[in-house]
Amino acid sequence: MTQVAHPASASAAGTVTHAASSAQVQEAVRDAAARGDVLRVVGAGTWLHAGRPVRAASSLSVRALAGVVEYVPGDLTITAWAGTTLEDLDRVTAEHGQWLALDPFGLREGTLGATVATGSLGPLAASFGTPRDVVLGLQCVTGDGEIVHGGARVVKHVAGYDLVRLMTGAWGTLGVLTMLTLRLRARAPVDATYAVSVAAPLREWIPAYRAASVAPLATELLNGATAAALGVSNGTTALVRVSGNDEAVAAQEKALAQLGSVRPVSNDTWAALARRDPARPTAALRLSHRAARVADVWELATALARDVPDAVVHATLDRGIARVVLPRISEADLMTRLRPPTECARVCEVLPASLWQELAPSAVSDPLSQRVRAAFDPERRLNPGILGEA
Amino acid sequence: MSSAALERQLGSIVGARYVRSRAAELLVYESDGLPGYRKRPSLAVFPGTRDEVVAVVQLLARERVAFVPRGAGTGLSGGALADGVVLIGLNRLTRIIDLDPASRLAVVEPGVVNASLSRAAHVHGLHYAPDPSSQAACTIGGNVAENAGGPHCLKYGVTLNHVVAVNAVLPDGTVTSFGSADGEREGYDLLGAFVGSEGCFGVALDVTVRLTPNPRAVRTLLADFLSIDAAARATTATIAAGIVPAALEMMDAGTIRAVESSIYAAGYPIDAAAVLLIELDGLAAGLDRDVERVVAICEEAGARGVRVAQSEAQRVKLWQGRKKAFGAMGRIARHLFVQDAVVPRTQLPNVMASIAAIAERHGVRVCNVFHAGDGNLHPNIPYDGNDPSQRERVHAAMREIMQACIAVGGTVTGEHGIGLDKLGYMPLIFSQDSLNRMCRLRDAFDPHRLANPGKVVPVRSCREWHGFVGREASLGSAAAS
Repeated sequence: MTQVAHPASASAAGTVTHAASSAQVQEAVRDAAARGDVLRVVGAGTWLHAGRPVRAASSLSVRALAGVVEYVPGDLTITAWAGTTLEDLDRVTAEHGQWLALDPFGLREGTLGATVATGSLGPLAASFGTPRDVVLGLQCVTGDGEIVHGGARVVKHVAGYDLVRLMTGAWGTLGVLTMLTLRLRARAPVDATYAVSVAAPLREWIPAYRAASVAPLATELLNGATAAALGVSNGTTALVRVSGNDEAVAAQEKALAQLGSVRPVSNDTWAALARRDPARPTAALRLSHRAARVADVWELATALARDVPDAVVHATLDRGIARVVLPRISEADLMTRLRPPTECARVCEVLPASLWQELAPSAVSDPLSQRVRAAFDPERRLNPGILGEA
Repeated sequence: MSSAALERQLGSIVGARYVRSRAAELLVYESDGLPGYRKRPSLAVFPGTRDEVVAVVQLLARERVAFVPRGAGTGLSGGALADGVVLIGLNRLTRIIDLDPASRLAVVEPGVVNASLSRAAHVHGLHYAPDPSSQAACTIGGNVAENAGGPHCLKYGVTLNHVVAVNAVLPDGTVTSFGSADGEREGYDLLGAFVGSEGCFGVALDVTVRLTPNPRAVRTLLADFLSIDAAARATTATIAAGIVPAALEMMDAGTIRAVESSIYAAGYPIDAAAVLLIELDGLAAGLDRDVERVVAICEEAGARGVRVAQSEAQRVKLWQGRKKAFGAMGRIARHLFVQDAVVPRTQLPNVMASIAAIAERHGVRVCNVFHAGDGNLHPNIPYDGNDPSQRERVHAAMREIMQACIAVGGTVTGEHGIGLDKLGYMPLIFSQDSLNRMCRLRDAFDPHRLANPGKVVPVRSCREWHGFVGREASLGSAAAS
């Protein structure tokens, strides 16, 4: 375990502790407790600029806690340390014709731990679910420095209370994730992506899409600017990924052609979409509602981005989620756009730090959530404030 | 409060006829689907509305009286047994509150029977995917409590993956909501914690579940093997080929013979060592190509033959044998111990061999019928529970089977839960620190330990357990210690 001065922090008081084992994470948490210090938990650091109101000068990095612990391809499960990057997992599993069906927006240099801790999802969530559906088991270090595990290394497991779901999306406030077991998928013989133009009004297009004989792995609606930037077309476009044997894929291509002009595009388009996010946008957020309301969600999302240069707007149709990334926008303009209440649920990914409290009120201030926090991190030592909690 | 006074007050909430206290009336609630345990509740109360459920729980919370929520009582872990505490029966709450085909969601009361939800959704071309074998009787509330599975969970996922929101009354009487049907909800995944908490975290008042489009085409295959090993190899190879069957079930010789000599006879080959029941579904295009591929995989693994159902009637018959296998075993002996464990898929051949050896050593007959695609085993032992020597041998064999599953990296339950029956195995798969943390999580939901006391986590694992929280709670937990 090494301690170095915080490279990115202006407040020189902060140090970064690098842990390379569960025992070192435990030691770092216990040391922090002994000092009365609080910790910001960091993986590859891709979330550091999200503006989240974390009150911690010292950081604990699990980036060095990396590597595959156990991988038996026939089991279609993999166990890896939390600091393992998604691209490393992609490489290891691809050798066996398998993949981890988690494709959060952003870089594949991001870590597994951060993906699970933030509950990040991407287009594949439409068919394979979010991290809560993919993580089978985990090990973590609680805020009071105990090593705890939940779940198992098998694909079905209901023994005991579900610590896995609880830790997933908890932003590290219940425990520092150290090791994860995930469900993998075998690659189908054919896996193809099509750009389908959405010429009709979305409200008419969606029912036709839902009635079509397609079973997509992912369907992501792109605004014209995003579609153009990815080189797939110039107007509103649905990027549809289908898989199976060649007969099944060919039939689905035909079915898609009923919905608009269809063009096969590279599967790399998905990675390009994930990387499309500007490095440090002013704001990124998701709007959502039940699936039948996705056209309303899309309208709100496009309105939110109107006249913002290079805004990225895309929607995971089958989950009723639209995502908006605003690269450069003044805080005043952002407030004007986000202040009016809407019927849609809103999840903020990135905001200016000064607006976080007002625009993203804490979702863990209820008594039960506070008791759950206290059960795992009684002193609120891990990522205090990251969920907007007082 | 005296028990007579409690009975009166409960009666004033739900109506006197919905409170039962006479021994003869309580007899039917002494067991669930697992033989071997008999626990009698002090009272049974049957609220008929959501408000009555809330009022009952609030009364019990106020009086610090422990309780056990119960659905249809089909559980297989003793989880719904109430040992001298109040039993809250939820089977009067059977309304489907809302069905939204456009968003593929349904809101149901906890007492809605699993299969009846699918029947109601059928007109919209939808169904509720988790399909435990007891689906004709078990309730959605019970499914949520146990995070129930079923054959088709291989492709479609278990209960957890299909529940999007729950309104619940916590054991302290607070009404709260978990999850959301209307978009993403931030904060801790308390819904995920609630699903599968075996009735320890509160009582569901309504459940919003995802409905799944009915597949456009279905093919059901029966592959016939002369060794379990070959059937296990075919299982692994099918999934590794990138084909995700809707279901992939294995039945061994003991199960095949039990089914074929019962009224559920499905035409399984009675001289086979194992059969695989494989279902492929999805779009019509390309489905028969996948069928050909699976047939080839089975043949490469050594299948003697593979039969594809040629009509819906044949398909239903093949499934009937599988779904009613437990019932068919009922003909063999008075009692049936239905076991549940999960092993890594690649360990199936090893574990099946271990199970056969253990059965032989203890002189018991094991019938295996299980979700091979998930590695989720159900080794079942028919026996006569009135014979103490048989009972002892069955329990000894079951313990060894569980240990064999744990030894290869498996776990002790994939879909039936811990309940009372598997408390003793918890320290074998979780460290003391992990168990203690589970106790603390339980205390966050239920500080007075009133809901389903003595289940899931052995009480002695809770470090700060003082041994006496309330008279009723300690009565219930005595069973676990």
